[in-house]
Amino acid sequence: MSWRFQRVPTVPAGAALAGRVGAILAALACVAAVLSLAGLAPARLGAEVIGSAFGSVAGLEDLGLLVTPLILTGIAVALTQRIGLWNIGGEGQFNAGALAATAVGLHAGGDDAWVLPLMALAGAAGGAAWILVPTLARAFAGVSELITTLLLNFVAALLVAWLCTGPWRDPSGRALATTARIPAELPPLGDTLHWGLPAAIAVAILAAGLLAFTRFGYEVRIAGANPGAALYAGIPVRTRIVAVMLLSGAVAGLAGTIELAGTVHRLQGGISNNYGYLGIMVAVLARGSCLGVIAGAVLMAALLNAGIVLQTQGVNTSTVLAITGLILLFTAVGDEIVHYRPVRRTRILG
Amino acid sequence: MGVPLAFPPGTGAGAAPGSPPAIPPGTPALVELQGITKAFPGVLANDAVDLTVMPGEIHALLGENGAGKSTLMNILTGIYQPDAGTIILDGYARALPSPQAAIRAGIGMVHQHFKLVPAFTVAENIHLGWSRTPWRASAAALEARTRALAARFNLAVRPDAVVGDLSAGEQQRVEILRVLARDARLLILDEPTAVLTPAEARELFAALRAFRASGNAVIFISHKLDEVVAIADRISVLRGGRKVATRPAAGADERGLAALMVGHDITLRRARPRAAGTPVSAAPVLELDRVCARDDRGLVALRDVTLALHGGEILGIAGVAGNGQRELSQVVTGMRRVAGGAVRIDGRPVARTGAAAFAAAGIGHIPEDRLRSGLAPDLSVADNAVLREYAGPRVGGGGLFRPWAAARLARTIAADAAVAVPDFGMPIRNLSGGNQQRLVARREIRVAERVLVAAYPSRGLDVGAIDTLLSYLAELRDRGRAVLLFSEEFEEILALADRVAVLFEGRVMGVMPAAEADVETLGLMMGGRGARA
Repeated sequence: MSWRFQRVPTVPAGAALAGRVGAILAALACVAAVLSLAGLAPARLGAEVIGSAFGSVAGLEDLGLLVTPLILTGIAVALTQRIGLWNIGGEGQFNAGALAATAVGLHAGGDDAWVLPLMALAGAAGGAAWILVPTLARAFAGVSELITTLLLNFVAALLVAWLCTGPWRDPSGRALATTARIPAELPPLGDTLHWGLPAAIAVAILAAGLLAFTRFGYEVRIAGANPGAALYAGIPVRTRIVAVMLLSGAVAGLAGTIELAGTVHRLQGGISNNYGYLGIMVAVLARGSCLGVIAGAVLMAALLNAGIVLQTQGVNTSTVLAITGLILLFTAVGDEIVHYRPVRRTRILG
Repeated sequence: MGVPLAFPPGTGAGAAPGSPPAIPPGTPALVELQGITKAFPGVLANDAVDLTVMPGEIHALLGENGAGKSTLMNILTGIYQPDAGTIILDGYARALPSPQAAIRAGIGMVHQHFKLVPAFTVAENIHLGWSRTPWRASAAALEARTRALAARFNLAVRPDAVVGDLSAGEQQRVEILRVLARDARLLILDEPTAVLTPAEARELFAALRAFRASGNAVIFISHKLDEVVAIADRISVLRGGRKVATRPAAGADERGLAALMVGHDITLRRARPRAAGTPVSAAPVLELDRVCARDDRGLVALRDVTLALHGGEILGIAGVAGNGQRELSQVVTGMRRVAGGAVRIDGRPVARTGAAAFAAAGIGHIPEDRLRSGLAPDLSVADNAVLREYAGPRVGGGGLFRPWAAARLARTIAADAAVAVPDFGMPIRNLSGGNQQRLVARREIRVAERVLVAAYPSRGLDVGAIDTLLSYLAELRDRGRAVLLFSEEFEEILALADRVAVLFEGRVMGVMPAAEADVETLGLMMGGRGARA
């Protein structure tokens, strides 16, 4: 008599949530063990991390500034996940969006009330343009979007670096490797926070609504859940793929625009701050749910914030990255583990 | 082509070329499988299968798609490990933990879909993954070695040709040479003639007889009865994962084999006579005019199929699985483009192609594989229930999708199907297979204003659920709709259909009234014999 594990196809919501919480706790326990081995006090550090993020209005506002782009890049990934694809190029589309918005912001003078919408449009268009080639290659030639979207990230980053050290460099000469400050600014919402956060939350709600309450969303969900069923029902899968991927690029481009117009105010190298890649983790944590992306973004932002605090305590950035990686790894493992239950092996005799 | 294929006579020298060699009594079987069992999640692919292959034998393995032939051969070639059972080679029990171990044991397989690298030359393919490939392998050296091998086995191949440029028959010869070069004594061929012209098939058979004459053995997988009877010494039939019979080919009749393959031990179903006064429409609602179509691999799957379907009748499509049924069901529901000929609904060619247009024209479709194409298992019962009507005014309209309206429609469909659904928001895969199928059937009956295409509607159901489903079909017929019923069970077709058409290799072998059809005639036609009725 022996035991083995049997896979169960569906997991009740309670068990799934317990798996998540357990995974995050296990990851934090690992982190605490490593930190104490390094001679630090995990409990004190933890208290400090929580206090700095949630203990003051300024801390919460800083958290909000991190949440904003993460929601949008998370939505960009979650949208493509629903049709069964992976947009790994949020980073590049973020940069392309910021770049396009900068072009408008630097050269279109006038009232914020019409410059800002124009920048948003340009940013969304820039993000969509950056994913255009991977989209067409995926839909019409079956080229893996994983590779194409990823590789374009580096192109976008280099393009931004070249523009802000070359043609668009701040003519005043006060700042190196950045453009001049863009006159148009998102209206503030507190000291540092701006209206980008409500806008990002609105985008997440709109995306959830698009998937749940429109014919387009239904067709996307069918095509993502079972392409065979989409063919059977006569759903034009190719057209839907093109639309979803362009939309995903546009949302990532919008993230770049909001970061530019609300937080950074200048185009500079590294403006994307890995938000595009972190969006992938946010979407994975949210299991592809658009509203779940908001919660995933808050968790990710808290981790990033913790990283900043830990750095002041002498923990280096690699450790911080390792912590986020551990949490993602444990979550992925936990999501699988809840699918298994032990059963007694029944031996078939030959 | 045109080069004769022959194997040099080996141990069988003295016997007439091509005839089975005399095997001394007491010679152990080349391969003996005992009680091979292999389960995959949800399916028992092989259930205590015994199979004995003697040296100097061509052993045919018959069975429908999904009967377990491929699993059994994958176990024999070391790709899968059996859950239970023993493999005995030349009298010694052996484990075959890997494909390499099987090759070392002298077992080689030529798969139906060739495992060659199209961009490589013939010589490179022959030497790929072979321990005897010289370490310094120049193209010229490999080609010289290939030429020598080709001469030794008398298989005409061009060593420098790129495989992607070769015909299917030539590629198959490369595959066979690849296997023989590795000193195979047992050659397994999976549907080898499916891609061959008749002339190529004759050459293959000659080559197999020569191979047998030198004391080697062949396992020949097919579902073409005539060629199996022609080439094999013995025939084993698998059905539903079990071996149901092994017979000598001499004296085997195709009719009996067909019955063994599809299973004759199914109880005769209750006939459902048409209600009095339900006329069959004079004009056909659905016509196929010399329709040709290709399968997913681009091979011709339907050849000049001409059928007419009238309102108020059930037309049964009989045939051994894999003879074009899948493609036919897809063509009449708009899922597959025709390569030639025309599909007409109410006498008019279909204006728009595509499954949605066909459904809108009143053609419902219970697909062969519910889970793979009829449903999205991860989505909710409600989402799945509205797959045909999501764009319509009840659920959609104005580009919207109303989940609450979808749930309401799903409740209606579930009530029609008499399926109790505790929660319409749960994934549909939580329902039993029978309930999923009832929901699909009811969903499709709603759109089947003209025709219902029902592909194997009773497959995987218990007796009660089958009865319900078949009564749905009879009910549709009585309402003047047309039903195209694909089935692998004679009794089901004979009990329900008004006329029967038999498909063989993509052709309609004949159409006859069900009242005049008998199992023997159908069996012969399914095996490719029989004149057009």
